[in-house]
Amino acid sequence: MSANIRPSGVFDTTYTQEMRINRTRFDQILSAGFLGVILLLPLLSRSGPFGIDLVQPGFIGTVERIAILMIAVQGLNLLVGYTGQITLGQAAFMAVGAYSTAILMRGGVSFWVALPLASLFSGVVGLIFGLPSLRVKGFYLAMATLAAQFIIPWLLRNPLAPLTNGSSPLPVPRADLFGQEISGLSLYYVLIIACLLAMIVARNLIRTRTGRAFVSIRDNDVAAELLGINVFAYKLRAFFVCAVFAGLAGGLLAIEARSISPDRFDLRTSIELLAMLIIGGAGFSQAPIFGVSVLAILRETLIPGITPTLQEWLPRLLPFVDSVNINAAIAPLIFGVVIIAFLIIEPRGLAYRWEIFKISWKLRPFSY
Amino acid sequence: MDIFGQPGFAVLQGLITGVLTGGIYALIALGIVIINKASGVFNFAHGYMMLLGGLLFWTFFQNQQLAPIVAFALSGALLAILSTGVRYPATWTRGGRVAFISVAWAASGFILLQTDNLLLRAIVGTALGTALLGLLIERLTIRPLISQPLFTTVMMTLVVGEVLLGVTQLTWGSVERSLPIFATTNALGLPQAYPPIRIRDVLGGTVVIKTELLIAFGIAVAAFTGFVLFFRYTRLGLSMRATAENADLAQAVGLRVRAVLAVAWAIAGVLAALAATLHGSSTALAITLPGLALRVFPAVLLGGLESIGGAFVGGLVIGLAEKLGTVYFGSDVGEQLIPFVVLMIVLVVRPSGLFGEKRIERV
Repeated sequence: MSANIRPSGVFDTTYTQEMRINRTRFDQILSAGFLGVILLLPLLSRSGPFGIDLVQPGFIGTVERIAILMIAVQGLNLLVGYTGQITLGQAAFMAVGAYSTAILMRGGVSFWVALPLASLFSGVVGLIFGLPSLRVKGFYLAMATLAAQFIIPWLLRNPLAPLTNGSSPLPVPRADLFGQEISGLSLYYVLIIACLLAMIVARNLIRTRTGRAFVSIRDNDVAAELLGINVFAYKLRAFFVCAVFAGLAGGLLAIEARSISPDRFDLRTSIELLAMLIIGGAGFSQAPIFGVSVLAILRETLIPGITPTLQEWLPRLLPFVDSVNINAAIAPLIFGVVIIAFLIIEPRGLAYRWEIFKISWKLRPFSY
Repeated sequence: MDIFGQPGFAVLQGLITGVLTGGIYALIALGIVIINKASGVFNFAHGYMMLLGGLLFWTFFQNQQLAPIVAFALSGALLAILSTGVRYPATWTRGGRVAFISVAWAASGFILLQTDNLLLRAIVGTALGTALLGLLIERLTIRPLISQPLFTTVMMTLVVGEVLLGVTQLTWGSVERSLPIFATTNALGLPQAYPPIRIRDVLGGTVVIKTELLIAFGIAVAAFTGFVLFFRYTRLGLSMRATAENADLAQAVGLRVRAVLAVAWAIAGVLAALAATLHGSSTALAITLPGLALRVFPAVLLGGLESIGGAFVGGLVIGLAEKLGTVYFGSDVGEQLIPFVVLMIVLVVRPSGLFGEKRIERV
């Protein structure tokens, strides 16, 4: 679904050109520039080495959480956007990754060993809950993953409580890199690089035989079967990859937040991840960038910004509203309205709009 | 006497409480099944509709004064339902219809503003309010999604739940509220629950049955029977079944398909409020009520997504499984794990449920 329209005079003459991600010089400059800004951000904040106070330190934290959630949403994109399966259990797989990382690290395992092991384990758990896809699809599969979303936190709360601290938060030890603790600046770069690697892996996976099989299952599963694709095996692979990405995101979240509890990974988190995918544009590899950024900035910057004003004005406009309740109510309300607006007005998401914008920019000043 | 290592009276207690709560679960499941039957949308927001409906009932039941504007808005909802949803007998003239609507409108407005009977006012007000809620949800969020893929509608109902949660928290906060509708007043004028029914010396102990739960079960069964009769014998009910069977054909024989879908959502809204009120009367209305609807989803799937009888059976089975599971393994297993284990078993063994249509494709 990438843009197939190129400016006049740009042709592919070799296979390498055809397979390139950045087709034009402008694309290359744009992505390099974007990457550069992201990498320079913490250097421009107060905690950076130059002492320039251009970027709010709080915003650096927001970017870190965006990077983590982008990994989880990209996993979801591979399963929902490219393979066309519905899952409501992504947060539960994140919980598996986060708790496995934390438990391994508390047992003295290095973070760099714990994280891959936890991701793989999360992938295996994903495989187990992907098994119903052998028998059911569509809505029924959504129900099966909904069961995962309840069974996994239940396991963490009750039978595994000696390891996980039950419902109370589990503290996570600091990770280290070459003998140095990962915190502040180094944590930022670890998270950004992990996110970058995950994005590159996902982008390349889609260009392989596996990725094309995923897309064919989404577009027409009967036809895919006739083409000789083992539909069930590829569906399971999609579940595995999705859960591995979720586990990676969960493990990184554990070292970023330093403390995890099952409440962080409930059904509402899963819904939020799906909403990020929808707003970004399911089935586009840039979807996580758009979707996660929009919702995370909405949550961490805009909503705290407008809450005081609303607390002052809303009770005057609507006499039944108590200003004490506004704090808890405003986030689901604004989130819900934004997502409903997207579902009705542009269900294909921002990445689709971005493609349209790029095409019309390339074709200017003509409209076709 | 022990049954599988648990005292017999405790198991009997679990059985009775399970059946009684199962009746309420069946009512919740019915609300989900009606929408799914009519429009093919699985309503994940049903729990949040319940929460809103129950709190609406609480507000009407507690507050002595009611703003005329609220009464006016709710009567307007009645007007909308009567003028768009109901198919009148062919012998009625236009004047007769207008007269009927006007009388109903005036009567509901009078009850909402003038009556001293708080229970009656709460019933009328909540029914109108939740029907309006259902109509609004259908018109604003579900109808624009016609011809969109399944994933979009699933996402939409999930998100509608978020918005309803926001509205609920904005208006009522997250305080737990008791709803003493099946209660007498004591000497101080405060509501007091009826004494529970105790059956002594059965299987080596005393079995306690909460009176409120028994009344709630009775009302739930009565409402369920009423809806089954409604679908079998009334014009509107039959046209809803016809629409569910084949919307194109129904439209071809002159049924107003869109009106039927709207009415299905309105009925589901009323059912949600009824279930929440009955549940709230035996325990309390808490912000965690939507979790109850999540535990009823397995009941819907067990009974079959399109089967009304299945909703009843599924509700009872889940209620029983929960309470017996609580007796044997404790409440954390019974309420948080067992419904979802049942869900997984249903999905693997018989995805179409006990009485559902077999139309699941396998690839």
